[in-house]
Amino acid sequence: MKRLQGIAAAPGVALEPLSLVRGSPASDHATEPVDLDGAVSEAARQLEQLAARLRAGGRSDEAAIFEAQILMAHDEALLDEARHLIASGEPSDRAISLAGERAAAPLEALSDELLAARGTDVRDVAERIARAVRGERQPSLEQRSIIVAQDIAPSMAAELDSELLAGIALEGGSPSAHACILARALGIPAVVAIPGLMRAVAGASRMSIDGVSGEVVLDPDDVSEAASRERMVDLRHQREADDRLRQHPLATADGHRIIMAANVSRPDEAERARSAGAEAVGLFRTEFAFLDRARAPSEDEQTRAYARVLRTFGGAEVVLRLLDVGGDKPLPYLPQPAEANPFLGVRGIRIGAEQPDVLLVQLRAFIRAAADAQVDAPALMLPMVADLADLHQGRRLLDTAMTQTAARGVAGVQPRLGVMIEVPAAVLVADQLATEAAFFSIGTNDLTQYLLAADRGNAALAARQDPLHPAVLRAISQVVTAAEDHRIPVGVCGEMAGDAIGAVVLIGLGIRELSMDPASFGVIKRAVGGLTRDEMRAVAAECLQLADAVAVRNLVTSRSPTS
Amino acid sequence: MGERTDVGGSLREVTLRILNPSGLHARPAAVFVRGATGFHSEIRVANLSRETERDASAKSVIGVLGLGVSAGDEVRIRADGEDAEAAIAALVELIEEGLGEARTS
Repeated sequence: MKRLQGIAAAPGVALEPLSLVRGSPASDHATEPVDLDGAVSEAARQLEQLAARLRAGGRSDEAAIFEAQILMAHDEALLDEARHLIASGEPSDRAISLAGERAAAPLEALSDELLAARGTDVRDVAERIARAVRGERQPSLEQRSIIVAQDIAPSMAAELDSELLAGIALEGGSPSAHACILARALGIPAVVAIPGLMRAVAGASRMSIDGVSGEVVLDPDDVSEAASRERMVDLRHQREADDRLRQHPLATADGHRIIMAANVSRPDEAERARSAGAEAVGLFRTEFAFLDRARAPSEDEQTRAYARVLRTFGGAEVVLRLLDVGGDKPLPYLPQPAEANPFLGVRGIRIGAEQPDVLLVQLRAFIRAAADAQVDAPALMLPMVADLADLHQGRRLLDTAMTQTAARGVAGVQPRLGVMIEVPAAVLVADQLATEAAFFSIGTNDLTQYLLAADRGNAALAARQDPLHPAVLRAISQVVTAAEDHRIPVGVCGEMAGDAIGAVVLIGLGIRELSMDPASFGVIKRAVGGLTRDEMRAVAAECLQLADAVAVRNLVTSRSPTS
Repeated sequence: MGERTDVGGSLREVTLRILNPSGLHARPAAVFVRGATGFHSEIRVANLSRETERDASAKSVIGVLGLGVSAGDEVRIRADGEDAEAAIAALVELIEEGLGEARTS
């Protein structure tokens, strides 16, 4: 028995025989090797069959991808390049593979993720034609099994008989790979980026994979098998309960509606959040556009990325958080002196004082994106605000950006400017901030860290890092009071909003918008739907008088119906 | 909608905006390319809204995707050949009808 750890990419648990896929099975010929034109026809035929099978199975979105691939297989630019290479002496299969790589590169360089992903399709098509040139057969499953491979091309994943595909385990790959999208659509588990998988699997015949924890076990023993089976039953019950709940909005047992919003870190997450039922985006983190790059993203690139998220949500609110980078997330193109305490350093809105350009570009991009997506009431929030001076600085930058975009002829709407409450000082002057901020969003992760003086990253302090600590609850209560007195909305976007007990206490304290990872929607609907608003108010009031987070959790648990 | 330029001879040109919500991604690009391949003329399309202008054959789906046309971008279509006029008219109609998708209005 061997245990390996990877990244969970599609939820579920499977326990089955495994099927190993290694490169191309050169010894297995279905047809004689053919020339390029013959191979193109064969590849197109395979893709047509695949698309037809997917359509018949109701998987029309995937069918459309392969129908687009048929068009690529006949692409004259691609085939001319391959013929050129053949004329200069390359073997046909290598020629088409090379032509595919060359055609894919400019696509993969595009900043639009959807278009960049089509580069994968071009490679996939070129490889299919190359296999057809060599006369190879497609890998297929003989029995219901979990497929193990270094990586899986999109068409290979789609071609595997979905009746027999029980799970996917890859040594390479990433959660946004096509194979994982397929796995999620089929409701089967997938785990990727499993170091050492291909070597460890030698001789193993059976495995379990856990698409939630990311754990993979080769040739599990009886104890491990029994644990896997139990997990499968639990997950199935939960899935059934979630499906029943999908129709219902987030509301208390006595029908008071709570806005169920999503925290989104990248544009592609927005689409998933929308289909999971998110009514709004309470926190649109923008760091994705800035990290892992050598240069700052251009205003155009940012405009496109932000507009994509705004369009996905139509008229519903998407709150963009101004760039929050600093000492702990340094950017190579935004040089800052090293700091001994980056969490207490020059980050968030504080960067605006010294290096306003980066923030101005972002603000202009957001104003343009909102205009492009025809959003009536764009909303923006400032991170790490401690007082009115910080808010004023943000407002000055926003006004400058509005003037700059107007000068270029963009008819932008002034975004509503809100404030993230995460710095303890902001809690204590929340009444002042509420006179000028359009809304509050409480960032309970950082707020808990600062209030309890416990580093989020320090495992030894994990127990202290609980947002249900009465000190944090009292801080939240104070913020809610300030917001209510000045009639501005107040929501929560920290992990606490996606915690079953946290959500109940927050609603009891007066919060009416919870923004969380969409994976928690089902859990929160169940937890909140189990109590009336008055019951939540009563328990929250009692929690404020308790001494620690454990007592709070115990009290709320004792008052909640068993789910 | 669409500015046409009569550049003389067998060359016809038009400039217009793509309004598809996700720009010219796989499905609308396929509709566009299928529309273009029906004509004899050589047809090229350029994305005028990019920092550096690139153009591609309108009959190559890979080329068209590579132009990175986003919603609201302006494209210029040039057709050269005996059926250039008909080709431009057909492609303009396809674009105005949304290339098989609902448009952002």
